[in-house]
Amino acid sequence: MNAHLQPQTHLHRVELKSKDYKNETTSFWCAGCGHYGVLTGLLRALSEIGVDPNYLVSVSGIGCSSRLPYFVNSYKMHTLHGRAGPVATGVHLARPDLAVVITGGDGDGFSIGGGHMPHMARKNINMTYILMDNHVYGLTKGQCSPTSRTEMKTSTTPYGGVEIPLDPILYMLTYGATYVGQAFAGNVKLASQLIKDGMEHKGFAFINLLSQCPSFNEIDTAHAFKDACEQVPDGHDTSDLNAAMCAVNAAKQVGRIPTGLIYKTERPTLDQRMAELVKHVGGHKDYDLRKIIDLARP
Amino acid sequence: MQGITKNDLIIRIGGEGGEGVISVGDFITQACAHAGLDVYTFKTFPAEIKGGYAMYQVRASTERLYNQGDTFDVLCAFNGEAYNMNRASLKPGTAVVYDSPGDFDPEIPPGVFAYPIPMSHTAKEMNNPRAKNMVAMGAMSILFNIPVESLREVIATKFARRGEAVVQGNLAAFERGRELASALKKIDPWTLGTPKGKQDVIVMSGNNAIGLGALIAGLDFFSAYPITPATEVAIYVAKHLPKRGGTLIQAEDEIASISQVLGASYAGKKAMTSTSGPGLALMSEMLGMAFMAELPCVVVDVQRGGPSTGLPTKHEQSDLFLAIHGGHGDAGRIVLSVESIHDCINLTVVAFNLAEKYQCPVLLLSDGSLAFSTQNVPYPNPDDYHVVERKRWDGEGEYRRYALTEDGISPMVDPGTPGGIHIATGLEHNEIGLPNYTSANHEAMQDKRFRKLKGVINDVDPVEVDAAEGAGTADLGLIAWGSTIGVVREALQRLRAEGYKVKGFYPKLLNPLPVEQFEAFGASCKRLLLPEVNFQGQLAHFVRAETSLRPESYTICGGMPFTPEMIVNKVREILA
Repeated sequence: MNAHLQPQTHLHRVELKSKDYKNETTSFWCAGCGHYGVLTGLLRALSEIGVDPNYLVSVSGIGCSSRLPYFVNSYKMHTLHGRAGPVATGVHLARPDLAVVITGGDGDGFSIGGGHMPHMARKNINMTYILMDNHVYGLTKGQCSPTSRTEMKTSTTPYGGVEIPLDPILYMLTYGATYVGQAFAGNVKLASQLIKDGMEHKGFAFINLLSQCPSFNEIDTAHAFKDACEQVPDGHDTSDLNAAMCAVNAAKQVGRIPTGLIYKTERPTLDQRMAELVKHVGGHKDYDLRKIIDLARP
Repeated sequence: MQGITKNDLIIRIGGEGGEGVISVGDFITQACAHAGLDVYTFKTFPAEIKGGYAMYQVRASTERLYNQGDTFDVLCAFNGEAYNMNRASLKPGTAVVYDSPGDFDPEIPPGVFAYPIPMSHTAKEMNNPRAKNMVAMGAMSILFNIPVESLREVIATKFARRGEAVVQGNLAAFERGRELASALKKIDPWTLGTPKGKQDVIVMSGNNAIGLGALIAGLDFFSAYPITPATEVAIYVAKHLPKRGGTLIQAEDEIASISQVLGASYAGKKAMTSTSGPGLALMSEMLGMAFMAELPCVVVDVQRGGPSTGLPTKHEQSDLFLAIHGGHGDAGRIVLSVESIHDCINLTVVAFNLAEKYQCPVLLLSDGSLAFSTQNVPYPNPDDYHVVERKRWDGEGEYRRYALTEDGISPMVDPGTPGGIHIATGLEHNEIGLPNYTSANHEAMQDKRFRKLKGVINDVDPVEVDAAEGAGTADLGLIAWGSTIGVVREALQRLRAEGYKVKGFYPKLLNPLPVEQFEAFGASCKRLLLPEVNFQGQLAHFVRAETSLRPESYTICGGMPFTPEMIVNKVREILA
């Protein structure tokens, strides 16, 4: 068995309850916000895996969802709008022994941070990206986002939208994410299952959690999401990229949102490739610098 | 054959890209340095990938060199274009070695010494047309006394990996070039002096030297995006960092580079990125976060001609405004600038040391002229360098990441440490990192972050004063930064020899500005002149803003560095 096909063993594990992963900071989201479901799902997944909080780094950008790390008992970085991905990449590549989880919204990830998404996926950075997708900008009080439905009226689209939304799942399948899943945030069972699997997956895991915004999105309510979500059919081959894309398209055509594990594959991660490279050149921390300096002698 | 010994000789080689111009320049440089001469090179290459005019200039001397000199003494033209490009710079006394019969038949200006050498013809005759450049090099070695044994050794070494036949073919062409030149009558006065003896040196470009400095400082993580003229820093690091077990990633853009660097820094590693002006502009927002979240990082800016896309392959010192103040909000950073290849190594180590100690971004400014210039520098012994590690939490008591300490420096902790859990955030925060927007807290935290920087001046040699022993008040003091310093050093030597009372002041720490040192220097000069390669006079602006001094600006922005002659002439004009 190739090294990269071996089950995940790098996570530092302890035995803790779900509540032990919640820190004392009070969540600041509106009543009825879908993000509470995401937080609950994440805490449950962390407990089920038994991740050592000391070896967990939670990274976010800017937005309502990006406040999530404050509520988690772990090392964490609250960075800039759109930059959670590359900051997390730096944390992970510098310390592959750490478990890295990114949380952020649809605007943060796919609008301002959109330039980074393809590269985390194609490079197969071993991290988990939880996208809290509420189809709207909440922290700036209700503007359209890249995943807003065209028919939605927002403060910057008072006469209705003029753009078509981006599909996070098709996007990630296209760019080579090795784990792609989707759930309604209110379905904590499925959300936590996907997060757990995603974190245990060796590679870039992308999980889109549909999370209602009760304050600024009147059409994508919890009910609407719940009704539209439909588990991918039994027998769906999660290892077949074409099948995954077809399943998403087929669901979309009838106005449904496909949920569950949509695609999963194995491919060497970037940190593995880099470790191989270091090995290839005989590299180590104590490599004599003089050997490098001598190359510049005339 | 004989000529006047000239201890300081500048040879310019020009030709079509791909004709071996750069190789000849490199070989002469290596051989001179190998023999114990000082070298300082300068090259230009076409912005286009294939063809076009390529130029390599080598200055070699038995004396210490600080810059590329005024103009060339010897031109070696591989083709008509190279001759025509440099035609206007030929003056009485210049020697020209050119390919003849070739694609051109030059009209040699009066007073110029011409040596026609059948470079292409001979190489073809020897069934080795690519060795045209070796014929030229052989001829020049005879004409100008370039250390021949070292040249032979360099040819043998450089071609070794391509096989013995290639080595012998090139050596034969080189020897043939020597024979051809021996048959000519030496009519020009240029002959390179004999080196005093071999020195333990290395020869590097500024970009490579920055990479080496980073390795000496303990670089763990490097991320960059390709950009002229900084790319070679990444290329050097890409080759050598894996040997030290470090990690390198080419990011999707400069914003990602600096973001990855900060992530790695938070994870406890020494991290760096390198870029040029356009990339630094993109990094501005994240540099504010580095200051706010107190994350050590080193950012190298190899400046190029701006504004906007500007003159990407040309020299300019125009990112000082951006380096010191580029960014939103009220953020601080440390800015250092390098004068020489030696500085590129040493100040890169200093940059890491300061970043680690003060937990903030440190910007190191280099420039297009130093990027590709090579110089000999004393062999850097890695054990001679003082390398600083960040202050880490001792595990005692409750951990407060942003504890308000007397010197403003709060111990850091690496992820994985029990009891050290904390957040790094761009939001204003209290001592434990939680958001806090009260006026009292914001003022206390801003004070803490800026208080730290007060110590910087004691940890570096912030400036160098260049004055003759026992010099009293100078009639004129010259303030210079970056690679302009090396030009001013030589200009001052010439001016002093003419009897002028002049001094130099060379700040290496540009932010925080060493105000006291500026004031002291200003007090020892009647007038001040500040030459720099940008339109607005950027350092002069800061000096006027932060000190009581009122230096006169002398600015150029033609894409080339100053020459010593330009400075000498300007000073003569001012003091006339």
